[in-house]
Amino acid sequence: MNLTRRQLMKNSLLLGAAMPLSLGAAWAADSGLAPSPVHGPIRLYGVDRSATELGLGLRQQGWEPRYEGRLDPLALNALPTGSLATGFTDEAGLVLLTSLLAGRGRVLALGRHEAGRHRLLSHRGPLVEPLSGAAGGWQAALGREYARLALAEDEGRHAQAIVRPAARGASAAELSFLIRV
Amino acid sequence: MSTTQRILPKGVSEADFDAALARFREIVGADGVLTEGGQLAPYTKIMMAGDDRDYIPSAAVMPTGAEQVQEVVRICNEFKVPIWTISTGKNLGYGSAAPGETGQVILDLHRMNRILEVDPESCTALVEPGVTYQQLHDYIREKGYKLWLSVPAPSAIAGPVGNTLDRGVGYTPYGEHFMFQCGMEVVLANGEMIRTGMGGIENSTSWQVFKWGYGPYLDGLFSQSNYGVVTKMGLWLMPEPPAYRPFIIQYPDPEDIEEIVEIMRPLRISQVIPNAVVIVHTLWDAGTHVERKTYYDGSESIPREAIERIKADEGIGEWNIYAALYGTPEQIEVNWNIIEQAFGKSGKAKMMYGEEAEKRGGGFEYRSALMRGDMNLQEFGLYNWRGGGGSMWFAPVSQAKGSETRDQTELAQQILGKYGFDYVAEYIVGWRDMHHVIDLLYNRQDPEETKRAHDCFAELIDEFAKRGYGLYRTNNEFMEQVAGTFGEPLREVHRTLKNALDPNGILSPGKSGIRQ
Repeated sequence: MNLTRRQLMKNSLLLGAAMPLSLGAAWAADSGLAPSPVHGPIRLYGVDRSATELGLGLRQQGWEPRYEGRLDPLALNALPTGSLATGFTDEAGLVLLTSLLAGRGRVLALGRHEAGRHRLLSHRGPLVEPLSGAAGGWQAALGREYARLALAEDEGRHAQAIVRPAARGASAAELSFLIRV
Repeated sequence: MSTTQRILPKGVSEADFDAALARFREIVGADGVLTEGGQLAPYTKIMMAGDDRDYIPSAAVMPTGAEQVQEVVRICNEFKVPIWTISTGKNLGYGSAAPGETGQVILDLHRMNRILEVDPESCTALVEPGVTYQQLHDYIREKGYKLWLSVPAPSAIAGPVGNTLDRGVGYTPYGEHFMFQCGMEVVLANGEMIRTGMGGIENSTSWQVFKWGYGPYLDGLFSQSNYGVVTKMGLWLMPEPPAYRPFIIQYPDPEDIEEIVEIMRPLRISQVIPNAVVIVHTLWDAGTHVERKTYYDGSESIPREAIERIKADEGIGEWNIYAALYGTPEQIEVNWNIIEQAFGKSGKAKMMYGEEAEKRGGGFEYRSALMRGDMNLQEFGLYNWRGGGGSMWFAPVSQAKGSETRDQTELAQQILGKYGFDYVAEYIVGWRDMHHVIDLLYNRQDPEETKRAHDCFAELIDEFAKRGYGLYRTNNEFMEQVAGTFGEPLREVHRTLKNALDPNGILSPGKSGIRQ
């Protein structure tokens, strides 16, 4: 599902386009975006701020996120072989997603982002940078790490628990994923 | 914590395993053998309260035809490599696609996905194990056949072969799926192939219409078992009825389950209500689209006052009966009058169909879809009820008798309450039996809660068995314990059959507690 322009605006995804060019450019520079995508497209799922920030982190590392809206795991069957996908979903989505990948794709990384803690499971080696930083929130930092893992060739399974600083509205668990079909 | 260590099948050397993998690749192609962690991760996704380290496969092999399966099992015999067979791998709540134990090779049949025949006159189908209900549904629609499927709740992604072989159920008049299965092709552990029923007769035209064949009836041996690999299966399809009326009956109080079942039993046995009816508790009905924390955030079982608030907010009952009538409009009207009369006597039942039922919301829309065999994934919403990714379906069988149902409900609530879990449950009403399906939902990220869920499930099995209630199906973690409740003499027969049919023990060791 592609987001409508209205939805994109709501999620701030069209912020640059909706503002005067100079302001958009300044925002982009502040965000540390790569001048142009060098790694190609990656499907990005989710409908709230977390997905927006994750996309920002991916862009900063030279990926071209394509916003697909809420995850419909069945739609993954239609993606061309080799496609990368990332984003946020709920428990039901995660069950379906991982189940549908059996024999059809790879789980590169899964994240559970709970109050006080991030739990990350990577099949491409560990996360090396902290999930925080000047450019964006933890979601953007996660995007930068997922951007790196998408290119990594390690094959080790790596589980990590990372302290998540207390923040307003951080009680709800969010579930992230990075996969290749 | 980092893991890069290679997992080998028990008792198999690295050199032998490499040789077996190389042979597998010759048979199914390099892309049909998976060994990399990221590729195997979906086969380790478990929702049961077991240790992740106990369910790691060594590899996965994906054949595309029965002849390849024959070759694969011959190689497994040569190298003593154990395989765990899955069809579409969507046995969610009962083990998913995970192996029975660490070190098994997953024999993933999802690439064997040919619909070999659908006969619109006899209303039969012959399919391979990788065919999904969605695929069969789409095929039937494309051909314009007036046929309905009977599907389980994860309809779109599950498949008829796997569901039927695990003796799953659906919600139409054909809901007892194994009863409507007809004819199998099976690869035995030695690589030989047999066809059951009439399938042994060359050019038989009755393989999919006459179940019994000649001599001992074998099909049951290949359900919930590890005696062979089913590579084709026939099933019966329901002709589309001229009219269809799904309806709801809801009751307000916990003790009403007794009245419901007493009224329902004769209606089901006489086929006035022909489909596999569900009697759904509040928390299951609401749990498909409501999150627990909205009403209660404690770690104990959700309290009665919260359940009452959910009932009020959602407009649902303590017990919500979803059933349907099929036939001509005249037949439906006659049967509806009988149902209204039977359930109207006590004055407690609220009966709805058509627009009134649609306005009531809750689970009516998706239940209506399931009772006509349409695709739906709404029930996955239950995984959002408590969160944390843990789910185990505890599924004892009972007679369709009110007193027994009440006894089971109270016993389950008492044990779940002791461990701090919610009674998220439904009864699926067969002809004379009920499948009491309880989704034990818990947070798998919390080791203490996971252990509690494990202990709770184990106690449920034992305490139900003490009262004469056995499970119809269970997940990998508890197969041994459940097998034990059915007695040693039966297990000895299972073992004898295993030794005769699979002397090297290569097929799904541990399935249903059966080993050499």
